[in-house]
Amino acid sequence: MPKHIVRLVLLILAFGVIGYAARTYFTANSYYEYGYYRGASVAEIALDKPKYQGTAYCQTCHAQQYADWSKGVHNSVVVGKIVKCEVCHGPAGRRDPPPGYINSATGPVHPDNVKLVVPTDTVKLCTQCHEQMPGRPQGQPQIVVATHAGTTQCTTCHNPHSPRIIGAAAAATAPSGDAAVGKAKAEASNCAACHGPAGVSENLPGPSLAGQKAAYLVGAFKAYKTGARGNPVMAGMVGGLSDADIGNLAAFYAGSSCKSTRNGEKKAAAAGQAIVSKCAACHGIAGISAQPAWPNLAGQSVNYLVDALQSYKNGGRKDATMSGITKDLSDADAANLAAYFSNANCK
Amino acid sequence: MEEDKEPAERRQGRRSFLQAFAAALGCGGMAIAANAVVREAVAAGSPPPIPNIPGYDWTKHHWAFGVDATKCIGCLRCVEACKAENEVARDAHHFRTWVERYVYLEGEDTPRIDSQADPVNISASGSEGEYRFANRYKDAKVDKAFFVPKLCNQCTHPACVQVCPTGATYKTEDGVVVIDHTYCIGCQYCVQACPYGARFFNAELKVTDKCTWCYHRITKGMLPACVEVCPVGARIFGDRNDMQSPISQFIKNNRVDVLRPETGNAPNVFYVGIDKDVD
Repeated sequence: MPKHIVRLVLLILAFGVIGYAARTYFTANSYYEYGYYRGASVAEIALDKPKYQGTAYCQTCHAQQYADWSKGVHNSVVVGKIVKCEVCHGPAGRRDPPPGYINSATGPVHPDNVKLVVPTDTVKLCTQCHEQMPGRPQGQPQIVVATHAGTTQCTTCHNPHSPRIIGAAAAATAPSGDAAVGKAKAEASNCAACHGPAGVSENLPGPSLAGQKAAYLVGAFKAYKTGARGNPVMAGMVGGLSDADIGNLAAFYAGSSCKSTRNGEKKAAAAGQAIVSKCAACHGIAGISAQPAWPNLAGQSVNYLVDALQSYKNGGRKDATMSGITKDLSDADAANLAAYFSNANCK
Repeated sequence: MEEDKEPAERRQGRRSFLQAFAAALGCGGMAIAANAVVREAVAAGSPPPIPNIPGYDWTKHHWAFGVDATKCIGCLRCVEACKAENEVARDAHHFRTWVERYVYLEGEDTPRIDSQADPVNISASGSEGEYRFANRYKDAKVDKAFFVPKLCNQCTHPACVQVCPTGATYKTEDGVVVIDHTYCIGCQYCVQACPYGARFFNAELKVTDKCTWCYHRITKGMLPACVEVCPVGARIFGDRNDMQSPISQFIKNNRVDVLRPETGNAPNVFYVGIDKDVD
């Protein structure tokens, strides 16, 4: 072989060896361990400390909230809708050091030195999921914020951990009863003296009962019986009633034809209409409620409605939702709302 | 000739240098070869090495992700959770996962698409660090509307890995494309290569970043943060090696779709309930 070819071959070999040596010595040890990357980086990335800890982590200290939540609609495992603690309160953990993709296995965790947020603006928080919006699936409970409750905080009426309306679950099932038997019982007990014949009170001392929700009436009877609603007259009236009597009476009054009292002033009623969104979510814009547990207000007498609102406000009648609603309700607003509902059509 | 005039000593000196150099190269080459042979022999006798992650063997898992767009309510809790979990900048421009809204108005053929990064939505959220969809179509005549969560597809044949010049991004054995931030030189070829726009550049740290399906969580037996917080179960995650896992059941029980199959990247995020205009 000519000498110059030999030299060339030797030179190429030399470059090759130098290149191979350089690759061996200059790349990280783990570079080709699993592929064309630094093998040690896999474990480094996996080292990062998780921040979201899951609901079991919260349960230990917040047992009451956990119990509320786990039984409520925010934990509907069956339909796969689960709003976990950290969705609203944020992650329990932090990572150390804070910014910038630097892998770290350590960091502070609530409760030691991380404080979690108790959301204060629930209107902003809850509407992230529940504001009515095109694109949200049908099954998602959605509200039109303006007409549902306006700027009233959601937690006024809803327990955020189990957000069905507070107190609504108890009487949700419609009672059964015999209206004819109930009518006879009502006549025998002289209910008409205060509530009017067939439950249309007009301006008698008691509220109209005709056309009222049966489940609500049953709840009211029972509240008088147990003393939860203190009223000496009613306590005496219902003391001797059996559960069957209560069911029959409720069926009779619920089935009776109602008649609106319409004793509200027109001006006051107009003012009440402007703020009806406070009540509309449960009692309906026109005073006809959507749920059996909540009473209709349409056509009720002004005096009774004002009295009821004041009782809720001063604690005479106890209901978590209503006391929250009436807490900041002025006397003028109460009178206006009463006038509005009194003038509404009860049918 | 010129060469003949060269002094004999110089010629001698060059020859001896070249001989010594060749000998050194030969020795060095043999040492390296011997080293490689020994390493091969050692490796052949033991099982293939796995990364040192406590309690985790990456050869035993094959992760996959599902998105049920029919369930998504566009609450963006996933986006916020991802930012918190992964230290992503809390602004309106950098997202490892995001949600798009497709709205077809009556009489229009093409959808109006926006995401949480849209200026209207950012102004509705109150700040760039919070995310919510503005209710901008509430009074419009909407024919059809839906939300589509998006994230890195962790493709079987990832174009981003193909183009990386330094080996800073790679696909793990268990099916996740990750970035070694110490090796990333910030050239952004991968950002260009990704057909899904799933990668972004962090100008502050001068590295690229992307969704890792929360690799630090899934290697500890936890769910990715976005799946953990999704209140409606629109995000599904699991191990395809386990036939009972949520993702295996999701793929089995639904007719699933992937985004842009024509790119040949073979995505591993499987969609249900997306429309022809989603890509």
